Amino acid sequence: MDTSPTSPPASAAARWKSFGSRERENLRKSLRKYRWLYIMLIPPLAYFVVFQYVPLWNAQIAFKDFRPLLGVWGSPFTGFDHFITFFHSYYFSELISNTLIFSFLKLFVGIPLAVILALALYETMFLRFRTIVQTIAYLPHFLSWVIMFGVLLMLLSPGEGLINAVIKANGGRPIAFLTSPEWFRFVVVASDIWKETGWSTIIYLAALMAIDPTLYEAAAVDGASRFHRIWYISLPGILPVVAVITMLRLGHILNAGFNQIFILYSLPVYSVGDIIDTWVYRQGILEFQFSLATAVGLFKGVIGLILVVVSNRLARRIGGAGLY
Amino acid sequence: MSKSLSKFFLIAVAAAMILTACGPTATPEATEVAVETEAPADVVTEEPTPVPMEPAELEIWVSGRVSEAGPPPEDWVAYQIIQDELLIDLELVLLPSSAGDQDTKINTAAASNSLPDLFFVSRDTLYDLVQVGLVAPVDDLLPLMPVRTETHYSDPNRNALVTFDGQMYGLPDPGQIPMTDGLVIRQDWLDALGLQAPTTLDDFMTVATAFTFDDPDGNGQADTYGFCAFIDGSGLSNMGLGPRFNFIYGAYGVAGVWNLNSADEFGLNARDPRFMEATQFIRSMVEAGVIDPDWPTLSKDDFRAGWKQGQCGIMSENFAALANRSNYAAFDENNPEGEWVVIPPPVGPYGDSSEGVIIQTARIYAVSQRAIDEGKGPAIARLLEWMATDGYMLMAFGEEGVNFNLDNNGYITLEGIDPELAWNTSAMQPLTQLANMVYIFTDVELQARYQSHTSLNGRTIEPLAFLAGFSEQPWTEATGSAIINPPANAADFTRFYSENLVQFVLGQQDLNEETWAAFLEGLDSLGAADLEAVAKQDLIDAGFLR
Repeated sequence: MDTSPTSPPASAAARWKSFGSRERENLRKSLRKYRWLYIMLIPPLAYFVVFQYVPLWNAQIAFKDFRPLLGVWGSPFTGFDHFITFFHSYYFSELISNTLIFSFLKLFVGIPLAVILALALYETMFLRFRTIVQTIAYLPHFLSWVIMFGVLLMLLSPGEGLINAVIKANGGRPIAFLTSPEWFRFVVVASDIWKETGWSTIIYLAALMAIDPTLYEAAAVDGASRFHRIWYISLPGILPVVAVITMLRLGHILNAGFNQIFILYSLPVYSVGDIIDTWVYRQGILEFQFSLATAVGLFKGVIGLILVVVSNRLARRIGGAGLY
Repeated sequence: MSKSLSKFFLIAVAAAMILTACGPTATPEATEVAVETEAPADVVTEEPTPVPMEPAELEIWVSGRVSEAGPPPEDWVAYQIIQDELLIDLELVLLPSSAGDQDTKINTAAASNSLPDLFFVSRDTLYDLVQVGLVAPVDDLLPLMPVRTETHYSDPNRNALVTFDGQMYGLPDPGQIPMTDGLVIRQDWLDALGLQAPTTLDDFMTVATAFTFDDPDGNGQADTYGFCAFIDGSGLSNMGLGPRFNFIYGAYGVAGVWNLNSADEFGLNARDPRFMEATQFIRSMVEAGVIDPDWPTLSKDDFRAGWKQGQCGIMSENFAALANRSNYAAFDENNPEGEWVVIPPPVGPYGDSSEGVIIQTARIYAVSQRAIDEGKGPAIARLLEWMATDGYMLMAFGEEGVNFNLDNNGYITLEGIDPELAWNTSAMQPLTQLANMVYIFTDVELQARYQSHTSLNGRTIEPLAFLAGFSEQPWTEATGSAIINPPANAADFTRFYSENLVQFVLGQQDLNEETWAAFLEGLDSLGAADLEAVAKQDLIDAGFLR
């Protein structure tokens, strides 16, 4: 029998065996070569399995009347009752609109501001100034919303707040920024931008750093102004990153920022501040309706998934590249 | 590559299984103990059958006496006594101080069927847990702790709070002393402006206006408010603006959320036109600017910081928060001439007045069904009985001779005690974090907890005198409202009620008969009428309505 490497194997089984053996050898080599990378991969994989995939099993309580004593599997099946309860709840439309308004405002105001700040920092010639500005801009990210609320109170309180003190000193009437439905959304979005914009610039700065510097040099030689360089090199260079970030954020469009709003909102502004997650906290967690809470969570997840898939297809169709 | 990924995925799954297997599980030994020590079904007899003392591990979640103090130290002498004398290995967890956070912690533990053996719980959450079978009836435990049952669980009103379908599902310890919060006014401001204490709502508005705009503290700045309050409402019995505004509703004869005068009259007070009038009065206070404008967002601590700084002229406040040495000190320092005095609740246009509602509360401890299934019932009863007897003084005041002494009349004294080790110092507060599990408001407790002291300008401040002053005022009995069970849409219902009232008061909505009717229609569309019907029957069954 001719067993030279160029000769075809006598049978499919032998061919498979030969192929498998070669693959196994390649795999062994690959494992040996990249063993430390694979070992580093284990903890995050374990995290995702334990905390992201295993809990998916429990999502079935969205379709059941969850009874802890009966367990997830043993609880009686109720179908879509909890979804219907949510859709028919008194404040459903208000919750959806509030959630979307906050999310879209944070998305479409927050991202451009972060990009602008990143461009400004990238373009500055004074490195020391850039470092100082970056540090100051990042700082609020590390403060909890509880502390931020204290800061906001000191600024915005109608009785003692700094801004209202200025308004009163100029003969104006104090504004109840935190309890006025007209102002509350502005305060939420502005405070979120204040807290997170600096931190968001990191990824755009990294994208800017990755742009080939010879492009800028060539443009400068050709007489392009700084604005032209930003417009024709920097912005197109980071556009894929902006698109990816936007798509990822769209997946969380029904997460409008529970921590922030839970701390900032109060009865006078529920009509413009109550979002899906704060409702779920009150109705699902505090009233012990975990099936309802899970149903709402599942609903949010499905909507997020649809948005990511659709926006990814759009991005690929329009820009030629997408998230996956 | 896909094969290698598959392998690593399998490895990750195996790791996950190992990790999840590390979680706590019931041991076979525990099950055996449960079978051996479970109380016999016929334990409820006149002569309780002595239960042999079996070692047990107990986990209890409690609300500490002082929210800002930590748990008892690991070398707390009580742990050793409980271990040696009661054969109980006690694990103690202090719950968060806010009611919402407490409910969250308990509900999430309940969802995973991992409630502790004994835990402090709000009445509404207890109701939810009873519905899903996670809380055990405690009737069988009562004969195992005769002294505690006599001193803690013999009040039929309190017991009604935890009774469902004829069985007690919680241990209702005495809650707050009733009638603890009342109206007080700055007498020094009245004197400075030459005013008399208000007796009617009109007077009240006049005085509040003067306190706001006539510089009663004489510092030349517009930094005072006639009235201070915050939204202190939660749950079905305290929805809306909450107890701090109840005296105004009381002036219109409609204090509180519910009308419990009789079975015929029972229902939401909001259905009474006088309730709208009272709301209009509060709105007029807001419009006149005599209330601290921050009131809708103030927390209790913020509110108290305000009057301690000297911003407030009239308020409804708790006697201990107002006059106990530790609380009064900051006010005294900022306002050495400041003097709070009790005033009667103002009389309204129809001749009514009420300080607020009396809702006799209980501090409820529930026993998890899991603990009973594991045979821990007798150990829980043993621990609670010890706390009410031999362990009482240790729980309430610390170690005798170290943290306190007793005088000849049996009252608590700090004579002969190292001041740093006195039971009521901040440093010693962790030692009495379980005191709320034993307090029954005896004279000894009241004298010890609310001691008189001297202000900076030499006046004697007597917290109990404020309590006595509040107690003398007219009040509206509403204990029954605590047993009204939340409807399935409780979150929406309470939000609608409270939000609308706040919007009416703040001027965010017009307030007239038409808008009020729309408000009531909204309540009905959320099931108010059904809620009233069910609640009425429950209250009649429990003996609160006739």
